Amino acid sequence: MTLKIHPAVNDLKSDYDKGKMSRREFIRFATLLGLSATAAGQMAGFAFPTTASAGAIKRGGKIRIAAPVHKVTHPAQFSWICPSNQLRQVAEYMSYTDENNITHPYLLESWQPSADLKTWTLNVRKGIKFNNGDDFTADDVIFTFKQWLDKNVGSSMLGMLEGYLDANGIEKVSDSKVVLHLKTAEIGVPEHLFHYPALVLNHKTFEGDFIKAPHGTGPYLLKEFVEGERCVLVRRNDYRIKGADGKSLPYLDTVEFVDMGTETAPMIAAMQSGEIDMIDQGDMSGPEVYQALKGNPKVQIYPVATNQTRVLRMRADMKPWSDNRVRQALKLCQNREKILALAYFGEGMIGQDVHVSPKHPEYCPIETPKYDPEKAKKLLAEAGYPNGVDVNVAVGSGWKEIVRYAEILKEDALPAGFRINIQTMPNSQYWEKWTEVDLGITTWAHRPLGTMVLNLGYTSDSKGAPAPWNESKWVDKEFSELITKANGTLDVEERRKIFCQLEKIQQERGSAAIAFWINVWTIASKRVQGIVSHPSLYLKLEDFWVNA
Amino acid sequence: MDNTKSTSKKNQNSNLDQNIDVPKKGKGRFRDTLKILFSSKAATIGLILVLFWVFVALLAPYITSYSPMEQDWKAPNKGPSIAHPLGTDELGRDIWSRLAYGARIVLIVMPISEKLWIPGGTAIWGVIAALFCGASLGLISGYKGGWADEIIMRLLDAMMSIPVILLYLIIVAALGASAVNVVIAIAIVGTPGVARLVRSLTLDIRTRDYVRAAETRGETLLYILFMEILPNAKGPIIIDAMLRVGYAIFAMGTLGFLGLGMPPPSPDWGSMVAKGREFILIGNPWASLWPSLAIASLVVGLNLLADGLREESMRYQ
Amino acid sequence: MAKFIIRRFFLLVLTMLLVSIAVFLIVESSPGNIAKNVLGAFITPEQEASFLAQQGLDKPLFQRYWFWLVGSDRVAERKCGFELERIETASGFQEWWVKGENGSLMRWNLEGEDLFVYIRKDNVTIEKRKDNERWVKAGDGSSIFWGIDRNNHAVLWVKGASSEVWNFVVGTGWIKSTGGPQSYIPLKKGFLRGDFGVSLRTGRPVEKSLFIRLRNSVVLAGIAFVVVMPFALLLGMVAGINEGSFQDRFLSIAGMIFSVIPEFATGIFLILIMAHWLELVPGASVFGEKAPWQRPDMLILPVLTLTLIELGYVLRITRASMAEVMRSAYIRTAFLKGLPFWKVIFRHAAKNALIAPITVIMLHVNWLMGGIVIVEVVFGYPGLGQYLLDSALYKDVNAIEAGTMIMVLLAVGTQLFADVLYTFLNPRIRYS
Repeated sequence: MTLKIHPAVNDLKSDYDKGKMSRREFIRFATLLGLSATAAGQMAGFAFPTTASAGAIKRGGKIRIAAPVHKVTHPAQFSWICPSNQLRQVAEYMSYTDENNITHPYLLESWQPSADLKTWTLNVRKGIKFNNGDDFTADDVIFTFKQWLDKNVGSSMLGMLEGYLDANGIEKVSDSKVVLHLKTAEIGVPEHLFHYPALVLNHKTFEGDFIKAPHGTGPYLLKEFVEGERCVLVRRNDYRIKGADGKSLPYLDTVEFVDMGTETAPMIAAMQSGEIDMIDQGDMSGPEVYQALKGNPKVQIYPVATNQTRVLRMRADMKPWSDNRVRQALKLCQNREKILALAYFGEGMIGQDVHVSPKHPEYCPIETPKYDPEKAKKLLAEAGYPNGVDVNVAVGSGWKEIVRYAEILKEDALPAGFRINIQTMPNSQYWEKWTEVDLGITTWAHRPLGTMVLNLGYTSDSKGAPAPWNESKWVDKEFSELITKANGTLDVEERRKIFCQLEKIQQERGSAAIAFWINVWTIASKRVQGIVSHPSLYLKLEDFWVNA
Repeated sequence: MDNTKSTSKKNQNSNLDQNIDVPKKGKGRFRDTLKILFSSKAATIGLILVLFWVFVALLAPYITSYSPMEQDWKAPNKGPSIAHPLGTDELGRDIWSRLAYGARIVLIVMPISEKLWIPGGTAIWGVIAALFCGASLGLISGYKGGWADEIIMRLLDAMMSIPVILLYLIIVAALGASAVNVVIAIAIVGTPGVARLVRSLTLDIRTRDYVRAAETRGETLLYILFMEILPNAKGPIIIDAMLRVGYAIFAMGTLGFLGLGMPPPSPDWGSMVAKGREFILIGNPWASLWPSLAIASLVVGLNLLADGLREESMRYQ
Repeated sequence: MAKFIIRRFFLLVLTMLLVSIAVFLIVESSPGNIAKNVLGAFITPEQEASFLAQQGLDKPLFQRYWFWLVGSDRVAERKCGFELERIETASGFQEWWVKGENGSLMRWNLEGEDLFVYIRKDNVTIEKRKDNERWVKAGDGSSIFWGIDRNNHAVLWVKGASSEVWNFVVGTGWIKSTGGPQSYIPLKKGFLRGDFGVSLRTGRPVEKSLFIRLRNSVVLAGIAFVVVMPFALLLGMVAGINEGSFQDRFLSIAGMIFSVIPEFATGIFLILIMAHWLELVPGASVFGEKAPWQRPDMLILPVLTLTLIELGYVLRITRASMAEVMRSAYIRTAFLKGLPFWKVIFRHAAKNALIAPITVIMLHVNWLMGGIVIVEVVFGYPGLGQYLLDSALYKDVNAIEAGTMIMVLLAVGTQLFADVLYTFLNPRIRYS
């Protein structure tokens, strides 16, 4: 077997051998460059643990998951994790980023980037069938790409891709080969393909509403989808991937998602009495649920640290936040330890006002700012607010930890002269105007690479206007240039150097205050087996099975 | 036993009757009212409960050792202790302080905005607004009669048939959660009931001599309605208003519980229950137990007081 | 009597009309951007306009209300000159079609400059072909056609017009073109003809979710009613027989206290004690595909919560009525005649004492609903109350209207029923 290995993999290997890079980081980058995870693992002298032995696994049965069942039409338009957790069982992604942030090919067989990272060859896996009998081909891949790139679909994929890819940069070579010609070098392509709206659609039957033609390549079939009530999935018999017992996955016959409203208390009670097996916490913060269920003998908890955070973001184009001194003053009003302890029960890591988590591979250690209301008061006075300033902070009342964060901030920012008025609204209303409010606290999902977040949230489009997800409208020329440079830099030490600069800029003049990074938990009843907790809380239900 | 008890009470009442038959002014009348009050055990207990909360609200800064916003991040979600007699909430705030200041929002002051607070509690203002609208409509309807009466009463019937919770939901969900909107919701919900009561009282009073006299004197409509009829109907209206304050407090609690109450960190009782609820299963039932009890005790107090007054005043009539 | 019922029925209709207008106005006046809510924060103004047009939200308030009330299909029929028909597909989606010349069903779609017709034959196969003969020349040189599109709108398609429109084209997304749909009428039959419209929140017809929720709520309320009534009436009578006694005071004060402890508090602490500490019954209601009566264990706590709050109310009314009857002359006479105690109570007193409570309780349905909403939220019970709360927070006008109408109908209907019942129970009353 000849392996065509990207030249950079050898560099990575030497970095790894010299101890510049952790084993995990080596595997992550090597797989991004097209090496299979097993091969990369072998190079790093590391064996992947084999999954559960075939003997233990039982087939059949049903599980119930409490999850909101939203209205869904176009998967590329997802702005919530929960719908993706329901439909990712029916349709699939081209790649798969696992719980260790390592990205594997999935619907693709493999990918090969060119040496300059500007041409990516995607090899489509052959022999895959959609659940309506259609063959999965390069046409479906291209159709899906075009949907994301279409401005009028309004997909969040656009914000990630438009910086480096145009619709005319997609070339179909054959039915099983697609080549992407990028405008700029980009290393994150495979990981972008696993962003939650990136479900691959059937180009023959998709007409803008997935529920009307639920034709995907995934392990389950959509039996019933009633918005606001439930979503029922049943096993597909001819799924391509085999389980540990040699037969087709999935192990379960039926999965039912039950919409129990927005209150967590009934879900906790239902977990305790065994009425549901799991709570899909993809879109809600779970510290209360975790606290309530952690001692329960019927419940198993799978914790995972994440790059998810709650961002107190200030519109850099609106008063008073257009003045960096005011932004810095508010950042100084965060008593980070207290915020983490009270808002999230201490279950996470302290943040440093940079949107790069200590868990991101490129993270460059940076000092944590101290709580200093005196200094904040001085800064406010310098900015022209010697008597303090009245501000409104918008928060979605469904995120309990965000409300607590705001309450703590209100109290701790008072001595500095910020008189904060907390405006609560239902989460749905917050999403209506999350890019518009001058001061708000937004939830940011887990993303495996630091560059992914910074590209999404803190860059501008080709004309210099802030990108759609740039909610704080903060555009900094030096920062943008450094991001572009980082996107094309493979060597992790080099990237880390760039990130040291990026983080310094964001901390000193950025528009986001980030006080903490959160842990999440997959919480399931003990009878459900085969669970691996994903930092985005994505559910891989084909691996689940029930014990009795 | 029972019989003797009730007869002795009857006698007491007839004494009262005699006392009241003698026309009295000012202090004397006040003393009579108190006498009526204390002659009923239920009313006495009710009065004590209500006065307790009124004093707590008035004296909140003097009887609490913390501000309601003060956070102690080393001691969140604690049960009762010497430092915190009722325990602390999820941010380490003293629950007793929050209850006391919460009572202020209900009974003493109303936050119009972050800075502007006006005297008169939110529940009180809601009831006053309902009384004003309801009394005006009821007076006109009862006094004028005819088609005005017909139209007003049909409209009010329509309003009354809308389930109360639905009105609260639609109004507050549509207008947003704030003290003013809560007042509006309470007023809209309460108006038809007040109007019906005032109308029936007016129907009776308008045939009285002093009303006829005022008419022949050529007094204006407003004078007759508000100076002649309304003062003579005030007894039942006051009793009704007390019950309404109870409903209003209940409604505030419900809205707070549904997340439609005052914005945080306001010590709104209903919101306190809703927040505390998250921590019950973690092992801290106190944070939602105390505000629940506060709502219940104040509403019980108002109910007992109103019931007692009504019973006694019926005998007195 | 008949006259009375007719009059009350007329008032019911009037009430519902007024309430529906009021709800429309309140929802209308509240702030919020429904297009952003549905499509996300990144839509362009053109897309927003297109969305509003397709939902019919660009029409004046009066017209929207009218369409909601009586439907828009008649107007659409006049515009396009075809007879319209609503069918339900095998997979449960509602679709509007035009009844074609030979009895087949037709819909159209504009692709680029070409009009395509979809003809539905024998309810299974759908034939698609070019249909450019339909275009009609308009005054300004453009071609127009009023037809039905594939998303249940009557649409005015224009070719060669000067204005630009945004249109969602299958497989490509939103595209800008010089021709295309210029005006939309979302098709519905209207409330009066049993069509509640499409929910903005779920994108599906309101009645699909509403009636299951209503059924669940009715089950909950019905069981609570059956549990509360005999119990409360009995206790109320016990209290009323011995007015002023210890039992009386105890029962009436206990009843009052229970009736003023907020439902949410009762519910929360019942869950804590019964489900969390004692683990006797489930503390939440999860039905999924099952109906509530298939899981009676999950109904125990919600019913108990409702019972506690309603019990006190009914008890106090019964007590007052019973006490009044016991004071009346004929009961005293009966006792003086030496009739046995229980005979007097059941033969004479109870019969008369129960008339008032039964009717007053009917009037109380209004309050009961409030209790149900809270109980549903506390227990995650999939009922009408929770549906309404979600809809109100989302400003989903069709869902709010439908829920409100049902609640008003129930509330006023029971009041009417109570009045009628009252005349039967108490022959002295005659309405005229």
